[in-house]
Amino acid sequence: MAKSEPVLFSISWNACIQCGVCVAICPQEKSFISHFDTIAVDRPCEIACMICENICPVSAIDHSPAPAFNYTFKPEQT
Amino acid sequence: MKADYDVVVVGSGPGGATTAKFASEAGLRVLLLDKRQELGAPVQCSGAVSRHALLENEVLISDEFIQEAIYGFSIYHSSGENIQTDYRLLKPEEYGNAEGRVPLGYVVDRRRFDRYLMTQAERHGVEVLLKAEALDMQIESGLAILKVRHFNEELNIRCSVVVAADGLQSQVGKWAGLQTHIKFTELASCLQFVTDGVEADGLLEIITGHKWAPGGYAWVFPKGHGYTEIGLGVICSMTPHNAQQHLDQFLKNSFMKERFKNAKILEVQGGGVPLSHPLRTQYANNLILVGDAARQVNPITGGGIHTALTAGRIAGKFLAQHLQNSSDFSAQSMSQYQDLWMAVNGKKMWELYEIKSSIFRMDNIEERDQALYKTMSEYFSPNSPFKKI
Repeated sequence: MAKSEPVLFSISWNACIQCGVCVAICPQEKSFISHFDTIAVDRPCEIACMICENICPVSAIDHSPAPAFNYTFKPEQT
Repeated sequence: MKADYDVVVVGSGPGGATTAKFASEAGLRVLLLDKRQELGAPVQCSGAVSRHALLENEVLISDEFIQEAIYGFSIYHSSGENIQTDYRLLKPEEYGNAEGRVPLGYVVDRRRFDRYLMTQAERHGVEVLLKAEALDMQIESGLAILKVRHFNEELNIRCSVVVAADGLQSQVGKWAGLQTHIKFTELASCLQFVTDGVEADGLLEIITGHKWAPGGYAWVFPKGHGYTEIGLGVICSMTPHNAQQHLDQFLKNSFMKERFKNAKILEVQGGGVPLSHPLRTQYANNLILVGDAARQVNPITGGGIHTALTAGRIAGKFLAQHLQNSSDFSAQSMSQYQDLWMAVNGKKMWELYEIKSSIFRMDNIEERDQALYKTMSEYFSPNSPFKKI
């Protein structure tokens, strides 16, 4: 379910099979990728559509509310 | 400003390596990049490809990458009813493993297959950098500047044209402002196990049915050395469960459960298969897209090796021909690649996409199951109205 507040994703690195599906489905316009070819885990996701969580074949993605100080984070505009 | 290369290809999968090989063979200076340390790994693909696809695209068939020879198909309805097409029985004078007979196709090891294609590219003069990740692309004075991190070193490489063959997770197209996003309803979430202890006999077995793989299908492919690959892909908008849960259900409760009861898992592999239409725009200034990056995947079968090899051949030959006669690398000039590709493969893929979409628009599950079973059976029948792509 889509959330109205930004979220911070976390990956169960043990469960992750590095299939890349989360990155492929991510609607972010700028790259939102970790160094291990998953969606980014070092910055909040403001879209918070949660489709990456839904599509993961092994449910390796979880999320928590983004820390308050990050709420104003805006992806760099091009 | 002088270019370092005519063409830089980002991603050394089947599409990228093939593009690089054909472009270099025709005399262009080509650099092929891949961010991985081992191509094809982690494996994200079942590895089925027709013999025709390899021959058509001048891939010499080698034991180096073949895991198993394939002689036909067995397509299942969700109930277990099936239609089998075994070319060893249909055309015994042509297909088989005896002297002078050939297989219909192969299951390849993507780690070895991708490395083999890269090797062939290198032997045709392509320079290759592994552990080289493209970070950004800019256009300056009509040339593309690709920022690349090679191990710990940052490089700025100038070239006439960049080929984005960076797969399903393609970023290069995004940088150029292309509409590359896949719909949630059109990206199959796939999981497969390479197993020991499950019999298979030279056929690609495809199990349709909402019950087993909503929005996609399950497969049982022979994988060489007596191993078998069992997997499935699902469309997550059609199920509350993930691919892993569906695969577990398929192994334990399907009509094949007796056959699977001694299955021992040797490898776990997953991937995404775009069951969408090809990108409407596969080019930009100084850029063309090839393979999964352009969503050049058969939307009925989910097969992407044949389509990537063919696109690579078209792209490589186009670039060679174009760059030797022109210094115009604008989007408009690059659009000729898409025209060539549309004529060979694209139109067919759009037709297949329409067929696939009409099936999955059906609300009634029984009717949809029947339609998918019928279409899949027809697709793989010897009298198929579909040209195989």
